[in-house]
This record gives sequence, C-alpha cells and structure tokens, in this order.
Amino acid sequence: MAILEVKNLNKSFGRNHVLKGIDFTLEKGEVLSIIGSSGSGKTTLLRCLNSLEFADEGQIIVNSETIFDAAINKRPSEKELRLKRLHFGLVFQNFNLFPQYSVLENVTLAPRLLKKYSKEEIEKYALGLIDSVGLKDKVNSYPCELSGGQQQRVAIARALAMKPNILCFDEPTSALDPELTGEVLKVIRSLAERHMTMIIVTHEMTFAHDVSDKIIFMDDGVIAEYGDPGILEHPKSERLQAFLTSF
Amino acid sequence: MNTFMQQFPIVFQSLNVGFLQTLKLFAVTLLGAIPLGLVISFGSMSRFKPLSAAVKFIVWIIRGTPLMLQLLIIFYFPGLVFGKQLWGGGESGRFLASAIAFIINYACYFSEIYRGGIQGVPHGQQEAGQVLGLPKSRIFFRITLLQMIKRIVPPMSNEIITLVKDTSLARIIALQEIIWAGQAFMKGSQGISGAIWPLFFTGVYYLAFSGILTLLFGWIEKKLSYFKA
Repeated sequence: MAILEVKNLNKSFGRNHVLKGIDFTLEKGEVLSIIGSSGSGKTTLLRCLNSLEFADEGQIIVNSETIFDAAINKRPSEKELRLKRLHFGLVFQNFNLFPQYSVLENVTLAPRLLKKYSKEEIEKYALGLIDSVGLKDKVNSYPCELSGGQQQRVAIARALAMKPNILCFDEPTSALDPELTGEVLKVIRSLAERHMTMIIVTHEMTFAHDVSDKIIFMDDGVIAEYGDPGILEHPKSERLQAFLTSF
Repeated sequence: MNTFMQQFPIVFQSLNVGFLQTLKLFAVTLLGAIPLGLVISFGSMSRFKPLSAAVKFIVWIIRGTPLMLQLLIIFYFPGLVFGKQLWGGGESGRFLASAIAFIINYACYFSEIYRGGIQGVPHGQQEAGQVLGLPKSRIFFRITLLQMIKRIVPPMSNEIITLVKDTSLARIIALQEIIWAGQAFMKGSQGISGAIWPLFFTGVYYLAFSGILTLLFGWIEKKLSYFKA
C-alpha cells in the first residue's frame, strides 16, 4: 500500500507551465530523491505536496486519503488545510528557523501551540530529537549563534517534532558551505536508516545514489526518468546523461 | 521683579504647566497614531487597488505638506466654511484640534514604518509556520510580530523623538504648551515682561525629555538584540 500517490499534477504560474502531469507513488519507509536542473519544477512539486502552492490539475493521496483534488473547486477551510499539511514536514533550503526562539523553543513551538501532546512529553521528545541531530549542547542557543549546518539540523528536528508521515527536503544543503553539508547529510542518512519516509530535492548526486530507494529525474516539468538509484550509473535518456556529466 | 532669583519660581511654575500640556499632546498623539498607523499601513498594502491607491494618496498629501499648515487648516477650516466653531472655544477646543492634526500626521509616518517592518520579515518565516500547521493568527502573533517590532524600533524612536519637538508647532493655534508659556514672559505675564530666558529655558525640558526617551529606546533595542532578524 503506497503511503503517497501523486496523480497527474499540473501547475502553471501565468503562462509558465511548471508541472506537466506528474505521476508517482511512494511506499512507506522509502526515500525518494528528486534531481534535475533548476527550473525543472522540483521545488514547485514539493511546495504543492506541502500545500504552499495549489496545483491546477491532479490529485495527492496520502494513506488512501485524498488530501488534494484540483477537480474539487471549493478551497479548503484554513483548518482543513492545516490538518492536510500535517501529513508532511518540510525542511527549507535556507532553514527559516524562528530567530527570536532558542533551539528548544524552535522545536517545541508548533507542538505546544497545537497541543499535540502534553507539555512534558513535548519537551522530552524535542530534547531527544535535538540530541539525535547532535546538538544536545546547543538547546538554549539562538539561531544566530549557530552555523548554517547546525541551523539546518535544528530545522530537521523542528519538522520531526510534528511527527509527519512524510518528510520533505528542499535542497537542504544548497545554502551551506561545502564543509558543512556532510553533517546535514549524515542526519538525513540516519533518518533513512530508521525508515523515515522522505522526499529529497537535492543536487548531491552521490548522496542521492547512496540514500535513496527511488530517484526521479525531472526535466522541464515532466518526470524524464524514474527508477532505482541504478539510473544514475546507467541513465537511459540523453537528458539525464547530459545532466549527470555536468557534475 | 527683576532679579533672576525672584523670577525663577514664577517662571518654573508656569513652564511646568505648559510642559504638562506638551506631554498631554505627546501622549494622546502616540495613543492615537500607533494603532491608526497600523490601520493605514494595512490599507496601503491592501490588494484591493482602489483602497490602496486612496490610502497612498492621503499619505502623500499628509507627508507632503507641513504639519503647521495641517494644524491651521484643521483648526480654522470648519469655522471659515461652515461658520461654526467645530472645536469649541478655549484651550480644550485648541487641544482637540491639535490632537487630531497630530494623530493623522504621525499615523501616516508610522504607517510607512510599519509597512517596511511587515514587508521586511522574510516570507519564509510565514511559510515555516504554515508547514508546521500553525493558524495564521498564531503565525502573526508568535512568529512575525516580534521580528517586525525589532525592525521598527530604530525608525520609530526617531519619529517619536521628533514628535517631542513637533508638539511646539501647536503654538501656531495658541495651544498653551511650553513654548507658549515661555513666550508669555516676553510680552508680559505675572509681573514679568521682556524676559527672554524663560523661552530659552524651555530647551532644557525638551532635552531632558528626549534624553529619557533615547535611553528608553536604547534599552528596548538592547532587549531585542539577543536575536538577529
């Protein structure tokens, strides 16, 4: 049973047709990496999954529940929208930590405000997450006191605190200095080992190859190639071959 | 009464009364302009074009003309056109007219500062709140607001210190604020005439008050310096 089904997703911004009929499925515990050149629609796809954008056509189904259907004209109420968003977590390229809150407060803010579980449980769970991303000694630091890599690890802990079914990453290491990407990739790798269902938009080809169960290569709004990580060694399409040689 | 020592208690008493009126105008202006500025800034950011255009036009008029002129128009216009003293006579009428002119004027300046503060908070902050499933009101009050406040404290402190001195413009419609009180001793009041030092001495009040405000805003800025926004 697939945890996620995406059917015929189409999205345009004005005359710019960004997503042209995206179809794929994802099984629980699988890691999917989405690669492709910039402007190919990778980020827009993630933003549609997280209800930050709304597709013009198509459906998104999580755990057999249709959370988005463009054919239904009625815009969901804010409350419905919030519940739908909770299936997904999103880690942004530029972290977007809340600067006025400490590491611990960043991680606990949303569960506390939404009263997901009791205060003690929230704190305990958050501290466990912060420990698991290797920032135990930084719980009371503020984002401005952390390196980019540390900030991104906090952002991962913050997303995990809401216990999403599927965690999405939008180029999680693109804003980092090269020497800091390793620590973030290591955290994502450890999540994969614990069978967290993840969708990762990335330019780190070696990482994508090692960590993923499935790879999607997007080109100009369509899935140009789809398969296991082997497609990175033996690309079928010329576009993917050309894309890979650019690295 | 010619010696300074004889004049001082009388002048001091009189300037204090004037300064109280200055403080009252200052406080009422802030109380009115801080919330009204927020309304105007939302108006100017409205996606409904006619509204945002109208609001921007009004802000342009108010920011583009002298506050002294606005005071004169607001005070005299109703009487000249409708033949009716809208504000009532006496000091309370002058205060009401002054307060309205100051509130409108400062609200327009504040609205532009707010707009800068609101638009200066990166959109990613709101999106981060959204993907965590937070409602819009929670995102505004718990995430955006403090970052906005941090951004607007320096320009707001600038405007508010300007307001301390701008209150003296109400002298033009004879509001009995501290400049008016100081000037009275030049023309003659309470047995003192031809004395210019009381007018000069009003500067001490302005300096002391703006000094206190500078310290206050410095303290607020320091309180908010624990994070970078």
